[in-house]
Amino acid sequence: MLGAQQKSLIDALLAQHPGASTALSDIRGGVFSPEERLGIYRNNLRENFLKVLELEFPVVQRLVGADYFRQTARQFLQQSPSRSGDLFHCGRAFPHYLRQQFADSDYGYLPDVAALEWAYQEAMIAADDPRVFDIAALARLEQDSYDRLRLQAHPALRLVRSPYPIVAIWAANQPDAPGDATIDIGRGGDNGLVTRALRSTQIAAIGAGAATFLGAVLEQQPLGVALEAALAADPAFDVESALGPWIQARVFVGWSLA
Amino acid sequence: MPVSREQSPGRLTTQALPAQAGIGLRAVHHDEFLSAPPDVGWVEAHSENYFALGGAQPWYLEQIRNRYPLSLHGVGLSIGSTDPLDATHLANWRRLISRFEPALVSEHLCWSSAGGIFSNDLLPLPYSREALEHLVSRVGQVQDALGRQLLIENVSSYLEFKSSEMPEWDFLAQLAQRAGCGILLDVNNIYVSACNHGFDARKFIDAMPAKAVGEIHLAGHSVNRIDERQIRIDTHSTHVCDAVWDLYEYTIHKLGPVPTLIEWDLDIPALAVLAAEAARADQHARLALAA
Repeated sequence: MLGAQQKSLIDALLAQHPGASTALSDIRGGVFSPEERLGIYRNNLRENFLKVLELEFPVVQRLVGADYFRQTARQFLQQSPSRSGDLFHCGRAFPHYLRQQFADSDYGYLPDVAALEWAYQEAMIAADDPRVFDIAALARLEQDSYDRLRLQAHPALRLVRSPYPIVAIWAANQPDAPGDATIDIGRGGDNGLVTRALRSTQIAAIGAGAATFLGAVLEQQPLGVALEAALAADPAFDVESALGPWIQARVFVGWSLA
Repeated sequence: MPVSREQSPGRLTTQALPAQAGIGLRAVHHDEFLSAPPDVGWVEAHSENYFALGGAQPWYLEQIRNRYPLSLHGVGLSIGSTDPLDATHLANWRRLISRFEPALVSEHLCWSSAGGIFSNDLLPLPYSREALEHLVSRVGQVQDALGRQLLIENVSSYLEFKSSEMPEWDFLAQLAQRAGCGILLDVNNIYVSACNHGFDARKFIDAMPAKAVGEIHLAGHSVNRIDERQIRIDTHSTHVCDAVWDLYEYTIHKLGPVPTLIEWDLDIPALAVLAAEAARADQHARLALAA
């Protein structure tokens, strides 16, 4: 009885038209009708869901405008209601939803900007890893061990590659950015690197060689394979000069020989 | 006065909450808590806001926990649902409890989910014998899983079920007795529900087993007017209203001193405003105890 009642109430909270819901028959009327009482909770649900998406995807919201974002959030809610008591997870499927809506449109960059914002969210809550990268020991390795050497990424590291200039779009839509940026959507893509050093999460654009290299590392490929792929993507890629700043930015926290 | 850290670094003791009122910890105040610690007795954090495995949120909570006694307050466990308890959610809770050693651990007398879908809201239960049996068992399961006694909080509500068989206060009192949980008495929620449903708020307080009440919540609510009618909504968006201060004095007079918390979640004001609201709660408690 309790289970069936709860199921019909949740359905009524999400339904487009709850008027026919059996849940209404167990709600007392009075000064407000059962529909009006249910309506307060329906409104709470939609507003809470919207508020989470606004916090997680502020750039997408800014790009499409508050009203359109609200409308999109409502449609997304119908397709992908919350499945956790922790509101954080509401936005997980939002980039995918936007891809379904906008993939072949003039707004094809929206899903990729959303993916970058979600990567940022994930990076903020990822585990800490306090290890200190032992670069001196790495330098002593013979080159022939590179085929067994794997760099270990920080748990917060994320890479989002896009045919659109998503990092430029993201940066131009930060609260402290100057408001007069013009971005040529057709100028080529960005590889967005998300890092977290101490408590600060950062987004930066990196070149094709670096992105290919980090993509391979994130797939747990050995250094030799990652290097080869990176050089194929960009013959000018120089891993030795990249490594220092990456260790500073907590891209890598360690390495292992398998 | 912030409580100083007594033990060696890295080790926190579970401190009982002091009589001085506390405030709900909100992320907008994290930095200020460290740079200019407010004079409040303790803080309460929403557990879900600190489920992150690493990064800034748990780091701040650890720093603040080093200076203040802490209570952890859950909003998403859906304890009254007939769905299975969420093992991940409980595991996150266990991790927080073992890291931060809170003085108190609390959740709500409500449900949020069915068939795996969450409203992420505090939905009221029918106060039926069936629901009571279910809650006794669920609170027991959660207390076993967390290895801690839970305090269960009454929620504000905007609807009542025809299938209820007893008043909310009897339900809560029986739950505490049978499940061995404590009660987090939200005086503002009592007032909001009393106005919305037309019962006497003092009756609710009179029915509370004094020994079970381990914490009190106070907050501001808003009044929504539709035509000539009005309904009170638990928004935590403003100061505690006079009627709730009166009811708070009545509660303290009746129950004796209880750790009290000021909650503010929407249009969050400066930290000093929250500290002043907590000081005001202390004044009202002193008046109530002297009366």
